[in-house]
Amino acid sequence: MEFLQPATWSEALAMKAAKPEAVPIAGGTDLMVEINLDHRRPATIIDLTHIKELTEWGMDDGRLRIGAGVTYARIIDELGDRLPGLAMASRTVGSPQIRNRGTVGGNLGTASPAGDAHPPLLATEAIVELASTKGTRQVAANEFFAGPKKNAMRADELIAAFLVEPARGPQQFSKVGTRNAMVIAVCSLALAVDPKRKHVGIGIGSAGPTPIRAAEAETFIQEVLEEHRLWERHVHCEPSALKQFGELVAAAAKPIDDVRGTADYRRHALAVLARRTFRWAWDDYRKSK
Amino acid sequence: MAVRAAVHGTVKRREDPRLITGAGLYTDDVRPERCLHAVFVRSTHANARLAGVDASSARGMPGVAGVFTAGDVLFTSDTARPRLCGESVKFVGDAIAVAVGETREQAVDAAAEVVVDYEPLAALVDSTTAADAGATLVHPDKGDNIAFEFDIGEDGALEGADVVVRGRFINQRLAPVPIECNAVVAEPDGEGGIRMWTSTQVPFNVRSQVAEALGLPESKVRVISPDVGGAFGAKLMAYPEQSVIAALARDLDRPVRWFEFRTENMTAMTHGRGLVQDVALGARSDGTLVGMDADVIADAGAYAGLSPPQLVLTAMLASGVYQIPKIRFRSKCVFTNTAVMSAYRGAGRPEAIAMIERAMDMLAAELRIDPAELRRRNLIRGEFPYTTATFCTYDSGDYERALDLALEAAGYEKLRAEQRDRRDRGDRLQLGIGLSAYVEMTAVLNTSEVGVARAEPDGSIVLQVGTTSSGQGHETAYAQLAAGLLDVPIESIKVVTSDTAVVGSGSGTSGSRSLQIGGSALRAACIALIDQAKEEAARRLEASVEDIVRFDDGRFGVKGVPATALTWAQLAEGSPLSAQAGFEQSDQTYPFGCHVAVAEVDVETGEARLVRHIAVDDCGTVLNQMLVDGQVHGGVAQGVAQALYEEFVYDAHGNPLTATLVDYGIPGIGEIPSIETVAMETPTPLNPLGAKGIGESGTIGATPAVQNAVIDAVSHLGVRHIDMPLHPMRVWEAIQAARTKR
Ligand SMILES: Cc1cc2nc3c(=O)[nH]c(=O)nc-3n(C[C@H](O)[C@H](O)[C@H](O)COP(=O)(O)OP(=O)(O)OC[C@H]3O[C@@H](n4cnc5c(N)ncnc54)[C@H](O)[C@@H]3O)c2cc1C
Repeated sequence: MEFLQPATWSEALAMKAAKPEAVPIAGGTDLMVEINLDHRRPATIIDLTHIKELTEWGMDDGRLRIGAGVTYARIIDELGDRLPGLAMASRTVGSPQIRNRGTVGGNLGTASPAGDAHPPLLATEAIVELASTKGTRQVAANEFFAGPKKNAMRADELIAAFLVEPARGPQQFSKVGTRNAMVIAVCSLALAVDPKRKHVGIGIGSAGPTPIRAAEAETFIQEVLEEHRLWERHVHCEPSALKQFGELVAAAAKPIDDVRGTADYRRHALAVLARRTFRWAWDDYRKSK
Repeated sequence: MAVRAAVHGTVKRREDPRLITGAGLYTDDVRPERCLHAVFVRSTHANARLAGVDASSARGMPGVAGVFTAGDVLFTSDTARPRLCGESVKFVGDAIAVAVGETREQAVDAAAEVVVDYEPLAALVDSTTAADAGATLVHPDKGDNIAFEFDIGEDGALEGADVVVRGRFINQRLAPVPIECNAVVAEPDGEGGIRMWTSTQVPFNVRSQVAEALGLPESKVRVISPDVGGAFGAKLMAYPEQSVIAALARDLDRPVRWFEFRTENMTAMTHGRGLVQDVALGARSDGTLVGMDADVIADAGAYAGLSPPQLVLTAMLASGVYQIPKIRFRSKCVFTNTAVMSAYRGAGRPEAIAMIERAMDMLAAELRIDPAELRRRNLIRGEFPYTTATFCTYDSGDYERALDLALEAAGYEKLRAEQRDRRDRGDRLQLGIGLSAYVEMTAVLNTSEVGVARAEPDGSIVLQVGTTSSGQGHETAYAQLAAGLLDVPIESIKVVTSDTAVVGSGSGTSGSRSLQIGGSALRAACIALIDQAKEEAARRLEASVEDIVRFDDGRFGVKGVPATALTWAQLAEGSPLSAQAGFEQSDQTYPFGCHVAVAEVDVETGEARLVRHIAVDDCGTVLNQMLVDGQVHGGVAQGVAQALYEEFVYDAHGNPLTATLVDYGIPGIGEIPSIETVAMETPTPLNPLGAKGIGESGTIGATPAVQNAVIDAVSHLGVRHIDMPLHPMRVWEAIQAARTKR
């Protein structure tokens, strides 16, 4: 096995261009498991941990630009106030050791339908920045996930960063699992309320071949909030509307039966999580006035 | 002879500084020079004929010392389970070949290069269909799948009952998941014998099996079981791999080591539980029990492990802590194409208590009697020993007091009031209170042990006994016991176990036997050692033994003449004083207790969380409360694990679906609340220490308490039973099913 250790970003991109089959490694918390279980025997590995740019974050034209190599632990510590939804999701990832090493870039790289960073990125309409020696391009999170463990990355590309607006309103994340931590969720859901744009974003995980944005449910709840002037009146939504909202979220899912749960149960649980997280977030919004 | 100061002393575990700082010696830490590494090739089919095994290309790989298939290694004894399968494989994990390399990586690569030609056959996975006509036969030449049958009692056990509750309870299959997987290091001893280290509960048993397999006298096989990183019953049988590795060391004339990978461990190590219980419990309308009728199917796995004898224990303990006049228990233990079933913490006893305790809650619901009250009305009371309808003789107990203590510590009435309030409000989080009053049997089957106590010239005391700790704290318990008896500082005591070349004999550790049997043997040895010391003092001081006394500083001397008194070191000068004594217990002992679990269930998602756990465990006279609490904490955690989280699952073709720790959900510390233990002591008359076992009680008490708590939380919705593990989906589905039925 060949082990490449670029010191700079341009060097890394050049290596990837020269060897498109080379596999990048960040925290290694996905890749090393695959290698250990012999699911994968990469001929070449590119170690991205020495590239400073990947571990940095800052503001970029009104958005936060967060390097692909920023760990969950740092998202929680350094960005918890600006990205509360992603921070909540990050807190549920693995164990302290995994949060110290695991990165959002790696989560995107694996593109598992169960990746915990994905629902909040979908709910906040984040953008993934991909780079190659030919330049960079931006892909909406919504379009990034292409299939089970497949993403929109081209063979010569690496993930440079993701871009997301700092939260302007309440955000929530919730999952159902068999135990509290260190478990692949039965299903998960992130919700972001943006009072300025009068927008509610919803991302769901572990409930289909990819993480899914529940677009119809988003439109529906936005219409309800608009129609009844709930943004202005700061009052609660009708239970019947909430019920329908939950059903629309469930309908967006494409779950299967597996050892962790049946499709029916996943749809039901997503509806519960949708109603619940909306209620929590909306309570926060109402009280924020 | 009174055991002085040390009894009831909370002495900190002496082994912990070593274990915590990484200074322990596990089998993996034994690194002989020029050691080869072995890796097994295991079946990926649950049931198949082997048309061929081709190791030729693997043998030519770099660093390969050999690749061995069935027939390549000569053994002088046969086993029902082939050490290496040559003709057929019976479960995913059956060993077919073993590759040996200079490095572990080379052995892994060579093992992957072995080509196995399988002719797959239909697999039998569901134990409930194993006895059906036309079922796939796991061992075709046997003619059926029945490994063992055991019946107690007569028909008509339910006659005279006003009400009968019935249920089918599945006591699911569990993987034991010790942190340290199976491990062996074996080397030729240079004199035609074998020296080996292995992670086991029974070094002497391993010695016998390896000696038989290799055609060596037992004296030519030395088995050392150094620090053991958890066993939980799964290291209670000798494994075929132990003989294979020893034979390879012999044949290659070099040290050979083998360490299980985690997934290999999850599939090839023995599993536990795996019972399907059809039970009916009958009572009069006032709740007085009339009888129990149970039909039980136990999964044996692919080859006979300890599942058959465990089934006897389940039958014997079916009565629990209750007066049940008639019990009819029919059972079958059946082969399936799955991992071998054997002991797992409690081994047969948790299954019995789960059955009666679940049925008691169903009966309470049926009769609308409070579950605590129903239990109270039926408890065994009065004179002990008490003999049950299943021929168990309970040695001593006070079951009502255990129940009272548990209810009081839990604040039972307040909890019930809180439950009513939440029900009235229709809260999302409902409260459940689960009880489990239990009794269990310890020091099962192996009821004798030999102990040696020796005073060395340097003043130290050496203790030897044939039990083997896998984390329980024997070095502390035995030293504490001897320190009290011999009146010496605990620091001067060295406990030596688990090395067949040093310790004479032993049955190892299982069935919570060590302190009561091993400790009683050591106690006798210590008393004999004191007698020897007195005789030696009398000889040296030219006095008669009757005149020898011990002074306050511990020295032995002539009454009234402290000046010439002698210390242990002085008495051992020249030749050590050594005493050996055996102990045999006339019967099993029966620890008991009562657990109360408090659970919260989210009725919208079905998520259940244990919020409190109260454990009253009476293991007779307590030597060290801290050790007892430690055993209870670990046991409760494993009980919670079975109730809420763990299940080993095969698909219909016998493929394991939960062979990694991602898919097999052991609980973490976040899932276990702080456990509230309540002390209670009812000595047994069966040994001089008054001690019963405590190693398995936590699991036996906790499992049904937690299961009952979760079901209790949703019983007002019409739910009467949910099988373990109580995963969110199962709980939710049970709520849905009850709703549609109403
Ligand atoms: C014990 C344990 C518990 C876990 N628990 C959770 C959990 O609760 N929730 C969860 O979502 N995940 C969990 N994971 C999975 C894993 O930790 C996460 O997916 C994590 O985000 C992976 O990040 P990493 O930096 O370690 O990725 P790596 O393993 O380094 O890489 C993962 C993949 O991404 C690719 N990659 C990495 N960086 C880049 C880049 N810059 N550009 C292009 N491709 C890249 C790699 O080639 C690889 O294919 C767990 C893993 C373990 C071992």
